[in-house]
Amino acid sequence: MTILQTQALKKYYGSGNTEVHALDGVDLSVETGEFVSIVGTSGSGKSTLLHMLGGLDRPTSGKVYVDSQDIFALRDDALTIFRRRKIGFVFQSYNLVPVLNVYENIVLPIELDGNPVDQDYVRQIISVLGLDAMQTRLPSQLSGGQQQRVAIARALATKPAIILADEPTGNLDSRTSQDVLSLMKVTSTQFGQTIVMITHNEEIAQLSDRIIRIEDGKIRG
Amino acid sequence: MRKVQNRACIRRLSFRAFCANRTRNLIAILAIALTAVLFTSLVTIAMSINYAFQQSNFRQVGGYSHGGFKYLTEAQYDELKEDPRIEAYGLRRFLGMPEGAPFEKSHVEIGYSDANQAHWSYCDPIEGRLPAEGTDEAATDKHVLELLGVTPKLGEKFTVTFDVDGHTTTQTFTLCGFWDYDPAIVANHILIPESRVDAVLQEVGVTPPGNDGMTGTWNLDIMLHSSLNISQTIDDILADHGYQNESRAEDGFVSAGVNWGYTTASLFDDMDPQVAIILVSLLLLILLTGYLIIYNVFQISVTHDIRFYGLLKTIGTTGRQIRRLIRWQALLLSAVGIPIGLIVGYGVGALLSPVILRTLDGVVDAGPAVSPLIFVLSALFALITVLVSCWKPGRIAGRVSPIEAARYTESSTTHKKERRTRGAKIPQMAWSNLGRNRKKTVLTVVSLALAIVLLNLTVTFTNGFDMDKYVSRNMVSDFVLGSAPYFQMNGMDPTSALPESAIEQVLAQGGVQAGGRVYGNTSVVQEAVTEDWYRASKAYYASSEQLDSMLAFAERMPDGKIADNAQLYGMEDFALDHLTVLEGDIATLKEPGAHNIAAVYSSDDRGDPIPDSHWAKLGDTVTLRYVEEFEYYDPTTGEILDPNSISDDQPYRCRATKYHDIPYTVTALVEVPTPLSYRYYGSDEFVLGAQTFIQDTGTSNVMLYSFDMQDEASIQNMESFLSDLTGEQMTSLDYESRSTYQAEFEGFRNMFLLLGGALSLIVALIGVLNFFNAILTSIITRQREFAVLQSIGMTGRQLKTMLTLEGLFYTLSALLLTLFLSLIFGPLLGLAMNHLFWFFTFRFTILPVIVMFPIFLIIGIAVPRVTYRAASRQSIVDRIREND
Repeated sequence: MTILQTQALKKYYGSGNTEVHALDGVDLSVETGEFVSIVGTSGSGKSTLLHMLGGLDRPTSGKVYVDSQDIFALRDDALTIFRRRKIGFVFQSYNLVPVLNVYENIVLPIELDGNPVDQDYVRQIISVLGLDAMQTRLPSQLSGGQQQRVAIARALATKPAIILADEPTGNLDSRTSQDVLSLMKVTSTQFGQTIVMITHNEEIAQLSDRIIRIEDGKIRG
Repeated sequence: MRKVQNRACIRRLSFRAFCANRTRNLIAILAIALTAVLFTSLVTIAMSINYAFQQSNFRQVGGYSHGGFKYLTEAQYDELKEDPRIEAYGLRRFLGMPEGAPFEKSHVEIGYSDANQAHWSYCDPIEGRLPAEGTDEAATDKHVLELLGVTPKLGEKFTVTFDVDGHTTTQTFTLCGFWDYDPAIVANHILIPESRVDAVLQEVGVTPPGNDGMTGTWNLDIMLHSSLNISQTIDDILADHGYQNESRAEDGFVSAGVNWGYTTASLFDDMDPQVAIILVSLLLLILLTGYLIIYNVFQISVTHDIRFYGLLKTIGTTGRQIRRLIRWQALLLSAVGIPIGLIVGYGVGALLSPVILRTLDGVVDAGPAVSPLIFVLSALFALITVLVSCWKPGRIAGRVSPIEAARYTESSTTHKKERRTRGAKIPQMAWSNLGRNRKKTVLTVVSLALAIVLLNLTVTFTNGFDMDKYVSRNMVSDFVLGSAPYFQMNGMDPTSALPESAIEQVLAQGGVQAGGRVYGNTSVVQEAVTEDWYRASKAYYASSEQLDSMLAFAERMPDGKIADNAQLYGMEDFALDHLTVLEGDIATLKEPGAHNIAAVYSSDDRGDPIPDSHWAKLGDTVTLRYVEEFEYYDPTTGEILDPNSISDDQPYRCRATKYHDIPYTVTALVEVPTPLSYRYYGSDEFVLGAQTFIQDTGTSNVMLYSFDMQDEASIQNMESFLSDLTGEQMTSLDYESRSTYQAEFEGFRNMFLLLGGALSLIVALIGVLNFFNAILTSIITRQREFAVLQSIGMTGRQLKTMLTLEGLFYTLSALLLTLFLSLIFGPLLGLAMNHLFWFFTFRFTILPVIVMFPIFLIIGIAVPRVTYRAASRQSIVDRIREND
């Protein structure tokens, strides 16, 4: 079953001589439960593609379907709500909310949705990610690896269909990177989630089920 | 330390950093401008009041030259005027004064003044010009023309009979110029050409200085380079030319004078401590308000740019240089903000000062003061505020370590490591966000609260003015009718008596319930007092030196007691019944033919009688001397003097030659309420029954008629009747009513409301600006965080809700603080005011806080929303990338 699909996705910046084709007709589909890596050099358009997939930015033309829903047919706030229910984001720079403690950061998307927190599920994520001991700490008191684990926990908390990860290990050393990646794999299997991850690190990419290479805004190979 | 030529580099860097910070600059300039507005308007008001005081003094003196040399010969005049210490000079030659009708009530001088002297004496023709030499021209003011019955038209001929050193002469002049009459100026002038002065002197056969030592002499009025040390400079000039003004008996005496308008009664010279405290606390308050926001602006901007300063540190910029960089930015901002503030502030001050001046008695409204000092002082205060405000942010920026700078975030001031979990609810997040930078939050809340605290204090203050207390003190009856000079506190003489016809007209209106006359003595009445009492009773307004000289002139009784003037009232029953009886029985005065008298005691502002304000006690005998004729004599030689030509420096005494003495028994000690009194002090006062008064003084001049009306409708009728009577038919009369006092009271209260309101408004503007700045910077610095929140599923609506809540928390905290401060300071202020103003009754109020509540809610909701809208134009992706 296809959970994620793009059709002739294009994103152009500027116009005339300065026009940049960040994405130039991408057709892509991802199956449920797949772990896909998108690899490319800096400026290849991989981050742009991820942002489009998550509905953070609107394309110049083309469509993105998540769970058969054309996400750009939604208005801004509806899109945001759709995103927080279906998609979890993990960023290179963690992007935790500094005034909230670990637990609060994790349950934030759930509470934004106004739903009661599924305590068992959250406790399960926390323990899988090894965050039990630091639930009440503020982000500034955590190491990079710990912060990224919190970010992953936050992405998982709403039980999203898809996790979009933008260089999740970019700020981590190789040992920690391996740990974080294995955790992501474990949790996605355990909770039945699809992962789309960008990286420029071939070694990390090898851990995924499928590697998609992108160059000059187009998928190669 | 080596001097390095890096100033230009720092300046360039400052300028670039400056230009990169447009929003901050705008807010900082506004803040600095508002601070400067506050300072400038305060200084303008203070200086304008001082200026008005000075102008009033100058008008009393008759001019504003720094000083002058009097009664000179032509040779002395020519010699002294060339002195280099004199910047400008003017010549005045006095010729004579008209005395008979129509000038009985006016002081008119005829003489020559050159252009400078005329200008310094406020003789500036509004039409025409000063008289030309060799003509029969003359210039004067409209009041003199009115007295002469001459229409103010150039070319009109008029004739004046006047006295020149004892010789009467009649002269005809052609009007060549006239100016408006200023009632504040005591002396009126008829200015004629110098040639005419000489011609008249020749005609009557007087050679300057004449018998009186002044007619036709040369008076040199001077302006020095500065108004400081006028007295010393004048003495120096005299000494250098071999003159002195110490002793008339010695050689080289020249009479010299200093314009006391420059030396005394300046607001700043003998400012009473209360005014000084109010001024200083206002200055401090403005400094604090200015500091609150300018500091905040710089603090926020430094925090925001801390990485930039870290970078500068990394590449070798010293802390000193960074501090200078910030100071430079502050100075650049001041260069724009302060001039704007000075201009606006001067406008505000110029608008407000007449409002204050109107409530001050006996001060002319001379318009706003124009002095570079206003701008220098205000700019200085504003600059000090700016420099004080950016000192600490400069230190923070200068001290930052390059490594830390990169990690420096707003939350770094939080020392908490852990936090109890309360869930990630939006209100919870908003509240936590306020705690990120406690200092900024506190500053913002305080600056918001300050405005309402001020407003609340203003309202409490003005609300406490007790109209009933004020009016009941000032009015004992519905109306008081008297002559205009009486109400202007000019005392009593036969010409200023209230005519019986006026009282008849009032009674003819109907509706008068009761009323009574108060007679005032117009002949001289004397009592015998001891020297001790004389000194004690006059110490209030005369220095001991002045008392010595007054005693030297005072006539003594055979028993060595001093014959001092007394003020005597004759009161009809209505007035007697309104007296406050301290001891004895007032009914004794109503007995016809009885020689009973009441001694008048005074009371302080709170209405408590002052026990030693009169020497007479119950049962004492007071002998009053009713004087019909006087003579003047020289106390050293015994020579009888002509009262019309006693020169300035001639010592003389005055003694009764024809009089009768009547002894009275003091049967009551009373207080006379102000509306029934003479309204000026200086002599002991006594009250007689109306019949006794008329019989014993042989005069029956009515000073005032006080009366009550039957009902409200008749009061209104009477008010319009009196207004018409005194305004149209009998302009020499005036009246007071309860409503006059109510209006005066309202005016007084409104002045404070206006001033307090204006101050609160500007402080509120600063507070809102500060709030706006705090919200704006908090939104700008959290752009990326918001993008993250949105990427993980926070909708725009939820984000706005959070920001709105933050804004509301700010304003609600400010309101709570206000409430708290008002609860503490309101009663404290009330206590202080009860002491300061006798007509103050403290009434607690938090009405302004309640009124401001919805306004603050709106501000709290609107500011974050507007700011967010402006800041959220960038897409989430762009914002996430920021600072990556």
